[in-house]
Amino acid sequence: MPVVDVDPDELRTLVGTEEKTDDELIADLFALGLEFEGRNEAGKFQLEFAPDRLDRLSVEGVARSLRYQYGLERGVYVPSVGRSNWTIEVDPSVPTARPYVTGAVARDVSLTEDTLTSLIQLQEKLHETMGRSRAKGAIGLHDLTMLQGDDPLEDGGASVTYRGISGDGGQFVPLESSEAMTPARVLEAHPTGQAYAGVVADYESFPAIYDEIGLFSFPPIINGQRTEVTTGTRDLFIELTGTDEWTIEKMLTIVCYALDARGASIESVTVEYPDRTHRSPDLERDRKHVSHARIERTLGIELTPDDVIDLLERAGLDAVREEDTDTYAVEVPPYRVDVLHPVDLVDDVGRAYGFNDLKPRYPEVGTVGTRHNRSRFERVVRELLVGLGFEDLLNFHLISERANFDRIGVEPTDDAVGGGQPVTISEPYSEEYEIVRTWALPSLCLVLENNTHRAYPQRLCDIGLVASVDRDERLKVTEHRTVAGVIATHDTSFEDAAAPLAAICRRFGLSLTTQPTTHPSFIDGRAATIDVGTGPIGIVGELHPRVVTEFDVEVPVAAFEVRLDGLQSAVESHNE
Amino acid sequence: MKVSPIHAAVLEALADDDGRSIHGIASAIDEKPETVTGAAFALEEAGLVQVEEVDRTTVSLTAEGTTYEGEGLPERRLYAAVVESVGTETPVALGDVLAEADIAGEEIDIALSNLARKGLGAIDSGELTVVADPPPDTEASALAAIAADDTDGIDAAVLDQLERRNLISVSTHTERTVTLSSAGAAAVEEGLEVAEQLGPVTPELLTSEDWKQAEFRPYNVTADPPLEIGGRVHPLRQMAERVKDVLIGMGFREMDGPHVDADFWINDCLFMPQDHPARTHWDRFALEQPERIDKLPDELVDRVEAAHREGVGEDGEGYRSPWDEDFARALALRGHTTSLSARYLSGRAIGELEPPQRFFSVEKVYRNDTLDATHLLEFFQIEGWVMADALSVRDLMGTFTEFYEHFGITDLEFKPHYNPYTEPSFELFGTHPRTGELIEIGNSGIFRPEMLEPLGVEADVMAWGLALERLLMLVTGAEDIRDVHGTLVDLEYLRTEEAIY
Repeated sequence: MPVVDVDPDELRTLVGTEEKTDDELIADLFALGLEFEGRNEAGKFQLEFAPDRLDRLSVEGVARSLRYQYGLERGVYVPSVGRSNWTIEVDPSVPTARPYVTGAVARDVSLTEDTLTSLIQLQEKLHETMGRSRAKGAIGLHDLTMLQGDDPLEDGGASVTYRGISGDGGQFVPLESSEAMTPARVLEAHPTGQAYAGVVADYESFPAIYDEIGLFSFPPIINGQRTEVTTGTRDLFIELTGTDEWTIEKMLTIVCYALDARGASIESVTVEYPDRTHRSPDLERDRKHVSHARIERTLGIELTPDDVIDLLERAGLDAVREEDTDTYAVEVPPYRVDVLHPVDLVDDVGRAYGFNDLKPRYPEVGTVGTRHNRSRFERVVRELLVGLGFEDLLNFHLISERANFDRIGVEPTDDAVGGGQPVTISEPYSEEYEIVRTWALPSLCLVLENNTHRAYPQRLCDIGLVASVDRDERLKVTEHRTVAGVIATHDTSFEDAAAPLAAICRRFGLSLTTQPTTHPSFIDGRAATIDVGTGPIGIVGELHPRVVTEFDVEVPVAAFEVRLDGLQSAVESHNE
Repeated sequence: MKVSPIHAAVLEALADDDGRSIHGIASAIDEKPETVTGAAFALEEAGLVQVEEVDRTTVSLTAEGTTYEGEGLPERRLYAAVVESVGTETPVALGDVLAEADIAGEEIDIALSNLARKGLGAIDSGELTVVADPPPDTEASALAAIAADDTDGIDAAVLDQLERRNLISVSTHTERTVTLSSAGAAAVEEGLEVAEQLGPVTPELLTSEDWKQAEFRPYNVTADPPLEIGGRVHPLRQMAERVKDVLIGMGFREMDGPHVDADFWINDCLFMPQDHPARTHWDRFALEQPERIDKLPDELVDRVEAAHREGVGEDGEGYRSPWDEDFARALALRGHTTSLSARYLSGRAIGELEPPQRFFSVEKVYRNDTLDATHLLEFFQIEGWVMADALSVRDLMGTFTEFYEHFGITDLEFKPHYNPYTEPSFELFGTHPRTGELIEIGNSGIFRPEMLEPLGVEADVMAWGLALERLLMLVTGAEDIRDVHGTLVDLEYLRTEEAIY
């Protein structure tokens, strides 16, 4: 989830509540859904929040939300937009993978070190969230006075061009560099270029923006040094490119609102595609409808229409009740990217009302609770094993391929308990957890290995999930629960594993038949299949010294592993 | 006087002496020293003997000390070799004389430093000169005395020096001497009557009726009993079972379903956009093998895709994100058990469901994340949902309040939150009993129409996912959940963790 750094003093100034203490601010921010995570080294609040209200990615946006929260402001606010003489021309050569561009001009911006840091933070946070790490949308900020626009019509207008160029089709001095570079060179040699090279890796040409002087921006990678924004910058040129037009327009809107809150005047630019023209930013309000009944039902409270309109206005929305209906027409400001459905307006009403002021009530809904059949049976088997002196373990279902197969002597192709093609993770963090285990005895052997310094006897059991690939299954995977046990002490023998199994079978009225078998993990002549009348469902025996010593255990180990579903179906057919 | 056989034996062994050591008595009466010690203390309690304790120091040679005692200390050997080759007060090259003295390796440093310390000679520019008339070597004579078991006359400073050189080891133990008291002497004088005492109660004893006359030897009932381990259900599993019991009591039915599932059920049915950061490979446990399933239910896929692209309802809007069925067919280990809720709500798990319904599961979920004190790759999620014609945020809060009260947690805080598939949404927080920290324990909300409509649900559904491990932390005060779960578990933890109920 995004974390945004906010200076509490700046926040107080922007909200206009100098008297609020830090603790009060933290509590009010929590109620807005912004969680205080701590302070950074400069003493700023680090606020974590869910990525719905992206307009709060800046201190200006957080301040606006607090002003609504405190009732210092109400209703929709839309900055007025002047008209600049700038045009962004879209050349037919733009890469088809990144066809959209938009922009705006902001004049009379007063930038201090702090506000510049805040503006760059907003840009970076928008890149991470809506911009999907710049792939879907990216913002470039430029010092307008350093741009020289073409004026082909000689009407006083100025234009820049968005086009596609080859890797060595142009060059410029990028930020944080003193060397003129081509786009290909930036991707290869510039740290930012290296970091984002993946975004343009599949593009057939590179996005580039030119003014009369030449190349000044290589979106979505890096800007040129010529137009670098500094504390001395008064007028800004903002450009965005991306794969989705709505997304870049909304990113632009959020930036324009933040600049407006700093006293800048926003001016529009013309975006000229080969086949159409529009002006941006587009700060049009959106309109949604929500019924009074829906608000009352979801919040569980009664409200008057005046209450509802008041609460919506306090949420920064405008609302009118439509005549002869119980429906409100609600105006939504353009910086809101999270309002997809009337339920989102209900949520806004709830937040403005204060969810923590709602009184919890237990719903009057009559239903009957039950356990799942499988889980009921699993519980009984676990309790029987515990009664027989087993320590119940909760092992991970993920394991290393080495422990599951190599170390215990089984191969995926073996037609034996533990054999089978494993379900594998595509990019595991650690090789300790790279496949779903095909059986549970390897997990138990790992526990024995990690506890050789603990007192014996160690009688351990694990009832849990195992899985393997099965192409005939709808999900391509077969999963089942397994019941596994190990008994380790100085004089363990075959019978120590067979006896508890026989005891469990007796409790279910089943009789246990054990037939000699061979298994790579067990001693030949001391391994047997487990059959409770429905065919083999598991194995019991003495683990081979090769396996025991592989896991650094110095006492003999007897073990069993049996399918829980196999046992359950035998019990169910016995009971019929 | 009537006494037990062992007490009689000890008293009699002391009768002719002024006092004997425990070991002396033990060998005289052929009993174990610890048995004699026990008897001596019991007799002291009865006023029949006195037990005197003396701490004795034993000095013995270490392996290195034994060697030097035989061959001579390295510095003495070096001194002798120098005298042998050039006499005293004459410099000699160090290299030459070391070979002569048969000193090598770490013995060289030992020889040189001790030679200087004892004033036997000095080194200057690689040349060694030894003095005439060296002082007597108290260390060498002490080693000889210790070897001969005659340690009484050795100076304490010399002993310290030898111990620092790791040539001797000094240990202290308590020696007990037992002497008859006058009452004890009188009792022996008068003659002791030995009472026959019985050890274990045996089947033979019970059938013989001998027990009617017998006296039972008292056992040391204050001694620590031998270690008994026994079976127990895993503490986290116990907590899972307790949660299940509580939820069943609240009218919930248990769900069951696949751990490996198609992304369609894990994410798409939950109105999670396909370019959502949580769906990138870093968080998600995508599978390499098998990679994807062949087929999804067509009609449902169409409805889900339409919701993603266009939203639902008159004013509805969809996501401006790509949607690809191929991506929906990719397999992964589920990141939440809301995949089960989606399957049940769709009617494909156990058939169409009419309101009212309550369902839950307490099952494993998987997250491809780094391991730390509060994050595991696998953990248990308590998943639950309620379906009814009209449900509110207050019903959701009331359900949690009720649930957590069963675990003694009454200070819940609700933070408005955002989830792609619920609105309104809340994060739940509780206070850790030990650290006082507010910790997040779950996530909840009312399912969005964009999720429910494609699944064919017309009623309201409120739902939540809570972390079982976090609940355990709140209830037991555990601070690191890695101790609890997985093959790195310390059996000692399972054997000593307090039982909860």
